[in-house]
Parts: sequence; C-alpha cells; structure tokens
Amino acid sequence: MTKQKRTRHIDLNHMRKAFAVKPLAIGIAALFVSGCGDREEAKIYTSLEDCTNDNPDAIDRCESAYQTALDEAARTGPRYNSEYDCEYEFGANQCRQYSNNSGSFFMPFMAGFMVSRLLSPNPYYAQPLYTSYSPYSPYRSRWMMADGYVFDGDIRKRKYNVKPSTYKPKPTVNRTIKRGGFGSSVRAKSSWGSSKRSGGWGG
Amino acid sequence: MLRQVVAPREDWQKQASAYGFHFHTMYGEPYWDESAYYQFTLEQIENHIEDPTAELHQMCLAVVEDVVNSEALLERCQLPRQHWDLIAQSWRDSTPSLYSRLDLVYDGQGHAKLLENNADTPTSLYESGFWQWLWLEQLVDKGALPRNADQFNSLQEKLVNRFHEIRQHYGIQQMHFACCQDTVEDRGTVQYLQDCATSADLIADFVFIEDIGLADTGVFTDLEDNPITDCFKLYPWEFMLREDFGDYLVDASVNWLEPAWKSILSNKALLPLLWKKFQGHPNLLPAYFLDDAKHAASGKWIKKPLFSREGSNISIVDNGEEQTLSDGPYGEEGFIIQAFHPLPKFGHNHTLIGSWLVDDQPAGISVREDTSAITQDLSRYLPHIIL
Repeated sequence: MTKQKRTRHIDLNHMRKAFAVKPLAIGIAALFVSGCGDREEAKIYTSLEDCTNDNPDAIDRCESAYQTALDEAARTGPRYNSEYDCEYEFGANQCRQYSNNSGSFFMPFMAGFMVSRLLSPNPYYAQPLYTSYSPYSPYRSRWMMADGYVFDGDIRKRKYNVKPSTYKPKPTVNRTIKRGGFGSSVRAKSSWGSSKRSGGWGG
Repeated sequence: MLRQVVAPREDWQKQASAYGFHFHTMYGEPYWDESAYYQFTLEQIENHIEDPTAELHQMCLAVVEDVVNSEALLERCQLPRQHWDLIAQSWRDSTPSLYSRLDLVYDGQGHAKLLENNADTPTSLYESGFWQWLWLEQLVDKGALPRNADQFNSLQEKLVNRFHEIRQHYGIQQMHFACCQDTVEDRGTVQYLQDCATSADLIADFVFIEDIGLADTGVFTDLEDNPITDCFKLYPWEFMLREDFGDYLVDASVNWLEPAWKSILSNKALLPLLWKKFQGHPNLLPAYFLDDAKHAASGKWIKKPLFSREGSNISIVDNGEEQTLSDGPYGEEGFIIQAFHPLPKFGHNHTLIGSWLVDDQPAGISVREDTSAITQDLSRYLPHIIL
C-alpha cells in the first residue's frame, strides 16, 4: 500500500468545543514535571498542618511555603467569568469570587500545594495545586497546576519528581501604558466593504 | 480531476456546532459545501501539485534572500525603511515560519500555475486540516466512499509537529495567539492553531490584536498585563509595520509567527521578482511591475496592488484597456501585472486550488469554487479525495 497522504490520527475529543469551558486566563507555573534530567523530589500537601506534621522541625518554612502558594494562586490561578463556568470545571462549591481593579472573576480554591527543597538551605519552590470534583472535568480527582498541567496518577499520589523551570523567564511588566497600537489599518480599510466577506484579514 | 456530486451528511451542521466550526455559512451564503467533492489521482497530487509546491516555495525563499540583501529591492517591495533591519535580521537568524498557502490554477493536466503566495496570514486552515479530514473519515465509515479513498491533507499532523519544533527552538512552554475582533472566521482559524499548539504541549493564550498593550518596560502585553514574548498573529505585517506600535517592534523583541521576513513573500512584488529570476519556469505566470511594464500595452493581464486582501482593487488589462473588477482601499503602494490565466471551469464553477505548506513541507490542498472567474469574493469550500 502506498503511503497515506492524510493525517493519521486526530483526537476528536480534543477538537470538540461545545462542552469545553476554557478559563479566561491561566498562569505560568514555575515548576514543571520532568521525565529526565536534574530531577528533585517534590511533595504535595493538602493543608498547612499536613506540611507541619510531615516536617515538625520546619514549621516556619511550611508556613511560608503555604503563604507563597496562596499568593501564587491569587496571581496565577485559573480565572472564570462566571461561577457556573468555574464550578463546571472544578465542581460545586469549589470556587469563590475575587475582585481586583480589572473587575471581578471566579477562581477555584487551592486544593493543595507542592513544595520542593523545603529542608535544603537553597530557596524552596512552592506552587498551588487544584483538583476537580466535577464529573465533566478531565481534572477530576487529579492534581493540576495553575497552568493547566495535569499530573499523572490520582490525588492520592503525593510525591513527584520535578525540576525548577529551565525555560526562559518572562520579562517583567510593571504597568501597561497604552493599548490599541495595532489594528488601526483594519478600521481604516474595512470601511470600504468592497468584499461581501468584510472583516477577516486572512487571505 | 473530477467534480463528483455526493449526498451531504445529514447531521453535519450539528457536528459543526459541536466542533466549533462556526463559519460554515457566512453572510447568508454557504461557505462549506459538501454537496460535491473533487477527485484527484495520486499522480496529479504528487507530480502536479505536491512537488511543484515544494519547488515554488524554495524559489520564493531564493527571492527573499535577494530582497534582504538589496536596498533597491526592499524599496521596490515598498517595505518601510525603518523596518528593513527587523526584516533582514529575522531572515538571517533563520527565524522559524509556521505555514503558508500557494494559490494555484490547475485543471487536472499540465502545469499548475502560481497565482499568489499567502505566506503571512492564510485562512481556510481549519476546514482544510480538520473539517475535510473528518468528512472523509465519516463518508468512508458509512460506505459512501471506498476504503482506499485518501486525501492530500497532513496539515494537522504537520502543524502539531511544527509547534513541537518551535517550542524547542525558543525553549518556551507558552505562546500567545492573536487576531482581530469581530471576525468569526479569523477567530476560528486561530483557535485551530491554539488546538494544534496545545497538542504540542504549549500553553496557548489568546489576545485580540486591538487589545495588545505596551508596557512601561517596552514589552507588549495581553489584557492581564502578561508579557507577550512569543506570538502567532493572524494580522498582516504590512499593517503592523505601519501602525503606532510598529515603532516598538524592535524593543519588544517578540518571536512572531509568521516571522517578519514573510512580509516579502506576502507582497505581490514577489510575483515579478520570481518571474525575473526564474523566467519561463512552467509553474510561473509572466509578471511585471506596472511601472516598468511596456508589456501591459498588449495581451491580457490582471493588475493587482502590491498589498491587498480578498481580491480588492483588481483590474483586467486587455490590449491596454483597463476594466476594474473590484474596488477597494488598496493601491497607494503601486501595482503589478500578471498574465491572465483563467481558472478552470467545472460546470458553472471556477475552481481554485490552495496548496499548503507547513514550514517548507507540502501539507495538503484546499479546493474553492466561485461563480466569478477572478475575484473569489464569495467562494465555497469543497472537500477533495485521492482515488
């Protein structure tokens, strides 16, 4: 048989849109799970007590890792327009409303936090984790990071090998000073409407 | 190459809404049309379309090499002088490209002719890479088409692989994707690329072109004030280079898809430059800049602006007599002429082949029909098979 000229396989579930609820924004995690390379062990705790029970000599570090994770959750957690969308993904009563100067939105509760290097003299890493109680969600009973990364195994698994991100860091943004500097040609040209297909700029 | 009538799937509209294909009908007119399909032989696909597509692309890249090394040619392409370095540097750094679509005139025999290269912002990608693929799978499954029916369409597979390469090239785990507001078709195209990118383990964030911001640190930002460092934009370079934020492109140092050197390929100056360099090539039509074309006085030519979209500002020049075929806002940067070569007719339909490349690899075709011979204003998209 000659070589097939078309794409061999497409995951149709990935292509279906009608039931997918996408968050408004998702964060960029500072840790990622590694298959190889400089791995280090990371542990998942579901509460501050969980951490201090496991590390009775490092109560301060647990507290501060927990706080770091909470701060990260507020900064990078998945955001939704409506409580319905958020609960659809994370389950009933798993979301709360937040407001900041750009408006109000819904975020899931942090269900746990991942810590590595807690006992080493080096800086530790702490990241918020989420899980879902929704029957509609692929995250149900699994650990998920703020960027949508889903860990293998279910939520009973509490140890993973990770490595601190070796990806390039994002440049800092203090403040956006101006918007709308791209797109003016569209406004100028689309007033023509010579084409019945006005609007698109693809070719 | 045959046009075959076939029964549409009864539930195709229902499926379209489940899969998020929201632009199958536009402006009250059908766009996706599965009441017929085009049938090609493998030989037609491989010898007449695939191989020439790969070759044409290499010829186009050779023209880019010429242009970035010549101020006269950069001038000829009407690229703004302040951005020459940006364009040339993106080429010298071998900045990766994602995809393009060559529009070809082909009637089933003889040489396909290049009409133009949509190298910067090609659309009709979703319906090519996914939707016509699904159509074939389902028609084969229900026995309406033979088991050995194939399709020239490895777009999705190649796009996902290309995003893997781009992720590794830049060492990134996240990219932004952008298009203009108020266009379902462009948004659908970009969503498809986001789906391909997430299949390649990239996080794919979206921002509208109009919403892009400039931070006090000189980087571009999305609506959450996150920096835009790597971005696919379904928005023409010729616009970006001339707009307000064009002045900040260098400092913002975004890794753009498509890269800035694509502004040379999406420019219709490409056509006379190709003809000059490869005169007589069987897949090229004669083409000249209007201002040095004594040729326009005789014969039949199509006159096109250097920059244009959607067949705007097209005229036909027949033995020196010019007749406007479409109005539009373009043309201030100048015109080219290209030898008139009619699209083949199948019944009442004029048929145009779009031949896709992912990077430099031929990756499939799209077939569009229009009742008009030239302007392709309200063309319909038809699936195809290889048998």
